[in-house]
Amino acid sequence: MDNKTDPIVCFPGDRLCTSNENTIPGNGTYERLGYIYSSLAGIVETKTEDKNTIISVVTSGNKTNLPIVGDVVTARVEIVNQRFAKCSVICIGDMLLNRPLRGILRKEDVRATDIDRVEMYKNYRPNDIILAKIIPQIEIHTYSLSTAENELGVVIASARGLATSSNTYIPVPMVPISWSEMQCPNTLVKEPRKVAKIMSENALAKQQ
Amino acid sequence: MAACVGNSCIPGETLQEERQESSDIRKVVLGDGLRCNIVASSEEHSLPVITKNGILRRRKPNIYYVDSYQKRYIPSKNDSVIGIVTTKTLDFFWVDINASEPAALSYLAFEGATKKNRPEINVGDLVFCKVVLAHPDLEPELVCVDSTGKKGNLGQLNDGIMFSCSINLVRKVLNEKCRLLHLLSKETPFELVAGINGRIWVNSNSLRKTILLRDTILKAEHTPYEEMSNIVNDFATELTGIP
Repeated sequence: MDNKTDPIVCFPGDRLCTSNENTIPGNGTYERLGYIYSSLAGIVETKTEDKNTIISVVTSGNKTNLPIVGDVVTARVEIVNQRFAKCSVICIGDMLLNRPLRGILRKEDVRATDIDRVEMYKNYRPNDIILAKIIPQIEIHTYSLSTAENELGVVIASARGLATSSNTYIPVPMVPISWSEMQCPNTLVKEPRKVAKIMSENALAKQQ
Repeated sequence: MAACVGNSCIPGETLQEERQESSDIRKVVLGDGLRCNIVASSEEHSLPVITKNGILRRRKPNIYYVDSYQKRYIPSKNDSVIGIVTTKTLDFFWVDINASEPAALSYLAFEGATKKNRPEINVGDLVFCKVVLAHPDLEPELVCVDSTGKKGNLGQLNDGIMFSCSINLVRKVLNEKCRLLHLLSKETPFELVAGINGRIWVNSNSLRKTILLRDTILKAEHTPYEEMSNIVNDFATELTGIP
């Protein structure tokens, strides 16, 4: 049997091999009770690097990128409640996701100080684009988000009502006037938001 | 297409008001049914646009609004509404107030309520409460107690009949110029609670009387103020059976 020319096709849940101290489960695999299993449907690939073998599963098509704890993600606020805001995660860092993921931003994770007296409606509104950090999951199928840092919070928001530019119905983004308020350039209406401290790339480069 | 105060208007018309020769800048308050599209880049003065069918009205000195026939209630702060309790959760009741979303009524928002002393209200009960939090994107919040912690006339409504009507009827009935309630009270004693969300509750000492009261109030919707005494006379005739 010539293993090198016949690709090994596997499905999620297929047992690939036994695991010992020389095998490392790579992308698309996981280790459980002494064996390495596949978690994706695709072709098994092995790579040897100084005595250790990395076993991974390669799929055709787009790889789904999933955020890990600590990643800064871009999300759109969908529903705002007294207790939490449900968001849909659209980007991880610089990378745009091919389908949005569900995220939840709890009232306690909005800011670092004075968390008991947070009013969600004064920090986020539906359709705001926010930067948030992933924290350990609480609910299944939903990522937990936190904006308890100066650099996290609302990046783009538009005022409620018809704040459009001329006759096109494209909402006009508000301009931040403080860390907790934004103003619409057309209607001059002020709205409370938790504004993110975005540093321009030039400023960041100068710092470094 | 210009709309004038006092006339009926349809969505799309602009509000043109006579420019008075006063030197001070007039601030205009746009109420329900009017919207202003301010375009910062254009030089011309942007006019308010009407977005609802109805009659354009003006409350002096500078408040404009559209008086339209409406059955849907849009929650607003400080309104007194009649709600129906639909669900009980751990900390609050979900109450249906004829709005787009059910409202939340906390267990602690009652007179003398503590964490251990819960109000005795069950699913299906009627409650007369006040809206404390109402935003377009948020679920409304209700309380059954005023700012000092007293019950007042809020709370559970027992017996009687609750019926739905248009928001306009409720406002008409509560208006000082409408003498309906005053005339009815001369005929017979009764209790009435009007929720601004289009719900009215009546109670009296007999079911037949309560039903007649309900019918009379519903008739008042299309009755002008001057003819209120006619429908009250009809009510009295029905009640006693003597023409």
